[in-house]
Amino acid sequence: MSEVSGMSELDSMSELDNMSEFKMTPELQFEIEQWYYREARLLDGRQYQQWLRLMSEQISYSMPSRINTQVNNRDRGKEEMISVDRELERAQDMTGCPLREENFAFLMMRVDRAYKMNSWAENPPARTRRIIGNVEVLEQASDQLKVISNFHLFYARPGTRDFLYSGQRRDTLQKVGEGYKVLSREIVMDYGAIDYPTMGLLF
Amino acid sequence: MTKKLKDIVSDDASLIAREAWTDEHIYDLEKKGIFGKTWLFLGHESQIKNPGDFVQAYMGETPIILARGGDEKVYANINSCSHRGVPVCRSDHGNAKRFVCPYHSWSYTVEGELVTIPQERELKSCPDKSKLGLKAVPRLESWKGFYFGSFDTDIESLDDFLGDMKFYLGAFIDRFKGGVEFIGAPHRWTIDANWKLPVENQLGDVNHGPFLHSSIIPAEAAEEINEFGFSVVTNPGHGATFRLMPEDAHPGMMAWGMESPVALMAEPEVHQYLFETQDKAVERVGDIRSRMKGLTYGVYPNFSFLWSNASFKVSHPRGPGKVEYWSWSVVPADAPEEVKKTLRANYSCFFGPGGILEQEDSEAWSQQFLGSNIDYVDDRPYFYGLGLGEEKSHPDLPGQVDVCANEHYAREFFKRWRSDLESVEEQP
Repeated sequence: MSEVSGMSELDSMSELDNMSEFKMTPELQFEIEQWYYREARLLDGRQYQQWLRLMSEQISYSMPSRINTQVNNRDRGKEEMISVDRELERAQDMTGCPLREENFAFLMMRVDRAYKMNSWAENPPARTRRIIGNVEVLEQASDQLKVISNFHLFYARPGTRDFLYSGQRRDTLQKVGEGYKVLSREIVMDYGAIDYPTMGLLF
Repeated sequence: MTKKLKDIVSDDASLIAREAWTDEHIYDLEKKGIFGKTWLFLGHESQIKNPGDFVQAYMGETPIILARGGDEKVYANINSCSHRGVPVCRSDHGNAKRFVCPYHSWSYTVEGELVTIPQERELKSCPDKSKLGLKAVPRLESWKGFYFGSFDTDIESLDDFLGDMKFYLGAFIDRFKGGVEFIGAPHRWTIDANWKLPVENQLGDVNHGPFLHSSIIPAEAAEEINEFGFSVVTNPGHGATFRLMPEDAHPGMMAWGMESPVALMAEPEVHQYLFETQDKAVERVGDIRSRMKGLTYGVYPNFSFLWSNASFKVSHPRGPGKVEYWSWSVVPADAPEEVKKTLRANYSCFFGPGGILEQEDSEAWSQQFLGSNIDYVDDRPYFYGLGLGEEKSHPDLPGQVDVCANEHYAREFFKRWRSDLESVEEQP
């Protein structure tokens, strides 16, 4: 796995078919799921400084923009015709504009902002609850794991409507000591129209 | 609505009633008097380079297809089938030979002509297809690749409409040899706010920056604005704010793009490009404009530009209390790929639906709408009088000019707004 950040879920799934060495174990599944539950607990508990320590300083953190594309006539009858990835304007392409493409320094800025008195859009702060599911380890190579997971994030803040964010995270985790850090994260949001106060949360 | 427009906006526009943001009847007048008449931004030529290329746009709430025809000309048509009104185009952008209505398969060329009615071969009489094309936007003109449409056949030329705003828009666009490029589909998000507040915010309201955005924007930025900042109104509803840097200012203090942390952290290649662009600015846009370091821009009624993070925006109305806000990342067309990528992130990190700055704005806009809707404050119109009458002319800068704290940009907008609404006020 040389190029870890640029591969989509579908690319890696097709590669997975050819990978015989990678054996999933209940222990690894348990370990990774527990890791994600802890991450969600830190975020819902507004413990963003601790959360940031789970991010690699080399992280690439992005959220593609999701667009309505034309169907390609040649793809009629094939799964590619309506593949999710066709709808994404991603950080690695220059044909579109992702909603977010950030590095560690920028995540740090978001975390710092959360603890300032004058971050008005989150004052008072939102009450959130993340449910993480469908945790699937797709690949393992040396010290890295490619993992996808789904989330529902409930978001409530005084003075506005409640919102439900739904999406998938496509992560590369790096083994560091006894734990893991996120080396790359791509967040594929499920929305028809962006009817949310912000897409700038820590997902 | 019980009030007359002259009671909604005072003659000098220093007092504006809350109903201006919330009243359904006023919203109807806006549709008739503004969105049904004036020039509205539709798209940029970089989005439709080849024959068959199209993008979606809106004029108010009316969906538009902007497309390059087989003859290389640009066409703007309403995205609604002549048969039963169903949209004939569902993609944000793409390349098409035909737009086909899904309901009965009437099909149209990208230029908007009706070419196929599948049902007609079963019938004795064939309808006259030449009369059943998509409805064309009656006026379509462009300036430096920016396409605008209007439903008013008698409207002044786009060139006249933009007037002296061309001087300020050109200060950005003409800095780059190859002009600018819009990247991808616009970010579009709905906000529970009235369309005019994002407009006002981008038209000249730098005054909220050091306060609403104090968690991110450093205090020095405000000092620079206080020292070198200007607010200009070229025509009512059009405006620009910027810093005019002194002649001896270091190029790093003037170069577009360099005031962003994203650019500061970027590779040397990015800095080199931005400095080279600044070096050539005098020859491309002249001395005064080369020293301009823009802030906010607005073109009446709902087209905006943000200089520092290079984003064009349109505030599409969706009723008094809802806006569909569109924004594009815009980069110099001739910049190397890595430079474009950095500049794109410079936009999305701070602006757009995921931006760390704009989340405060959209929150303030929503809260303003709630505040405009409360009861028992009819006798307390909003105060728009800061700097009333203090604007004046300037030897080098076209338009009426003053410090950024002067709210003349908003007063002039609302004077034009009132006049546009009065022109349709008495109609049934």
